[in-house]
Amino acid sequence: MKSSSVMQDTGRPLKNHAGLGQTLRNSLTMAYRGLLKIRRTPEQLFDVTLQPILFTLMFTYIFGGAISGNVHNYLPIIIPGILVQTVIATSIVTGVQLREDMDKGVFDRFKSLPIARIAPLAGALLADTIRYTIATVLTFVMGYIMGYRPEGGMGFVVIAGLLVIVCSWAVSWIFAFFGVIARTAASVQGISMIVLFPLTFLSNAFVPVNTMPDWLQWFVKINPISHLVSAVRELANNGAIGAEFTLSLISAAAIVAVFAPLTVRAYMRRT
Amino acid sequence: MIAQIKPAQSASVGATHAVFIQRSILHSVRNTEALIMAIMLPIMLMLLFTYVFGGALDPGGNYVNYVVPGIILLCAGFGSSSAAVDVAGDMTNGIIDRFRTMPIRSMSVIVGHVIASLARNLVATAVVFGLALLVGFRPSAGFVEWLAAVGVITLFILAITWLYAAIGLVAGSPSAASGYGFALLFLPYLSSAFVPTHTMPAWLRGVADNQPITPIIETIRGLLTGSPIHDSAYWAVGWCALILAGSYLWASWSFHRKAGRR
Repeated sequence: MKSSSVMQDTGRPLKNHAGLGQTLRNSLTMAYRGLLKIRRTPEQLFDVTLQPILFTLMFTYIFGGAISGNVHNYLPIIIPGILVQTVIATSIVTGVQLREDMDKGVFDRFKSLPIARIAPLAGALLADTIRYTIATVLTFVMGYIMGYRPEGGMGFVVIAGLLVIVCSWAVSWIFAFFGVIARTAASVQGISMIVLFPLTFLSNAFVPVNTMPDWLQWFVKINPISHLVSAVRELANNGAIGAEFTLSLISAAAIVAVFAPLTVRAYMRRT
Repeated sequence: MIAQIKPAQSASVGATHAVFIQRSILHSVRNTEALIMAIMLPIMLMLLFTYVFGGALDPGGNYVNYVVPGIILLCAGFGSSSAAVDVAGDMTNGIIDRFRTMPIRSMSVIVGHVIASLARNLVATAVVFGLALLVGFRPSAGFVEWLAAVGVITLFILAITWLYAAIGLVAGSPSAASGYGFALLFLPYLSSAFVPTHTMPAWLRGVADNQPITPIIETIRGLLTGSPIHDSAYWAVGWCALILAGSYLWASWSFHRKAGRR
């Protein structure tokens, strides 16, 4: 007698796609997984805890006197610069961890679960906003301890922090794309640093633009990181929402508009 | 008649060292990522400090002459730090046990790493000098001053490499060695490498003026550009000799404790 598999009618229709509500729930669950990973391996947070502290101390005390005459005058320049540099650099981790997860085969396990296929990717990007928040708060706290008093007031400091978090989340789509298409986690790190190093250092984050050679100034002025740093300075130091703020948000939206579909398509193809 | 088996004759110290130096250099050449980084780091730092920070730190436009010695030492420190990772790798992957079965001085493994690292770093230093000349570095040194500067740089690289080798021996893994070594890379920043110490806050100036890197940098800067050296030269050689002797003894003791004597 031939063995035959019997399908029982459970009375509920089977779906091969997830609705918006389920996708959101699954993404939040995956984001929670990301937070659990941070809790279990707190050394993951070294970059968002140590980097803002070390960089702020180093740049302010070592270069502050030479660049601005004294440390106090340099703080309004450097704190927004360090903030942007640290938080944007943190977004590299998104791509690196994504690649590590894909290499470990955990995504193959997720494929077998009745969850939205996009949830692991969306969850990872969502969880990393916590990292950006930690880095943002730490940088401002470090600045405050060192004597930085933002003229814009607390409300504008919060807006500045949110702007940096939103822009970093947008940039993390680029690194998520690298994470999906690259072969190893090390290569994601390498590619990301090659992209990020010139963008962060060839900006107005650390020194005034007018002290640079003319041929370098034109690049610094069109560099999106420079616009973001200027927007944060305007908000925190002057309490003003200017053109730089709008430009930063438009840039962030453009990055998401380009890289989110690319990343999702590449991710769907790879998984 | 029972044949007498003669014990294998130990290879000469020089020959053993040569083999292990060659081994370490081969490893370096094959590690493309580290090789690219060793070339790229000096280039990036030189361009960054000359063009991005240079105008703000020295509006007179003479900053490149000031910063070159600092970049040389920073890159030498970075290049030497790979010795810690390589030594830790050898100590943890079982290769030392293989070497101990051979009629060789097992400490040669460490000597090989150190000399190979020294050679790598001297090449990197030459790259820094070449790039510095391209971006406007104009040394006023004569032949004797150049010779003395290269001597101080070589002594510093040798001392710091032995220190990293010792760190690699006591570290539990290559990643731990990398972490411990990373802390040392901050020393050049807390010195007169990039800015004169008088521009720093008083409490930091005390640290910067009295740490080993500052007199070494001031000596190299003085020899190459003619700025006053004062007693920095004695302090520079003294610090290098002290670090070298201390690190060599620490490395020897750690190696024999971990790998046994031969």
